[in-house]
Amino acid sequence: MAKLNTAQCELDMTPMIDVVFQLIVFFVVTLKMNQDSNEDIVLEDGKNGVTITADNMPPTTLEIEVDRRGRVSIHNATLSESNLRDILRARINKHSNQFPVLIRGDRRTQHEKIRKVMDICTSSGIWKLSFVAVEEHKAKKSK
Amino acid sequence: MAYKRHVNKGESPKLDMTPMIDVVFQLLIFFVVTLKQEDILSKLDAARPAPSQDDAVKDKQQDLINIIVAPQGFIFNGRALRLAELDKAIERLSGYSKTAMVIIKCTSDSPHAFLIQTLDVCNKYGMTNLSIFSM
Repeated sequence: MAKLNTAQCELDMTPMIDVVFQLIVFFVVTLKMNQDSNEDIVLEDGKNGVTITADNMPPTTLEIEVDRRGRVSIHNATLSESNLRDILRARINKHSNQFPVLIRGDRRTQHEKIRKVMDICTSSGIWKLSFVAVEEHKAKKSK
Repeated sequence: MAYKRHVNKGESPKLDMTPMIDVVFQLLIFFVVTLKQEDILSKLDAARPAPSQDDAVKDKQQDLINIIVAPQGFIFNGRALRLAELDKAIERLSGYSKTAMVIIKCTSDSPHAFLIQTLDVCNKYGMTNLSIFSM
């Protein structure tokens, strides 16, 4: 019978450390630190739209947010109508009108508020607009 | 002053893993706590013709489907419909032509949700020629 030597019975930490490092790398990669969109906007369901992925959202995409009260913002920075016009004009000068424009409108906002944004886009020469909707709810509801 | 010389006696020094494991666990807990799942989003494309083109479009009445989005619901062919009924109507029409132009007219006090629902229904049956007008 083999003798149990208590002095040499040391726990091997290597596999645990391997797993823990793997987990950390996973979380670092999936972490999205910058919450640069308006979190108060509640989107309507739209299961039949085109899924927004990194591939069909080129870096030139302009996402305009319209909240419940009609506040217009880009990356959660509030804009006046003339600001938005200037931004669109600058964009068009740079990329012509070949960049996608997404409107992230709150489901409770009135069409009037969305209309203002659409009219600014149209008068700047952008006719193709897209509206953002939720295809699948994943985030936990805070309320 | 006397200097003591380090002499390697041939034993490999043991690395103390405890602080590293502590830090690594702290990091792990931080990332687990801050992880937030994101909704999967979709986009619904539509055209927004300039107001001056409005009349030109109205002249070509052949293949037009007119949907009015009102605060209470949807009006299609002069009848007030609920979403399920609109769904059926669009399904029937998509059987004839998927390229027919759909004109969505929104009243200014209708909620944005109704416009999205209309666009979603049109997308469901493959209607791609969508235009939004405001009333």
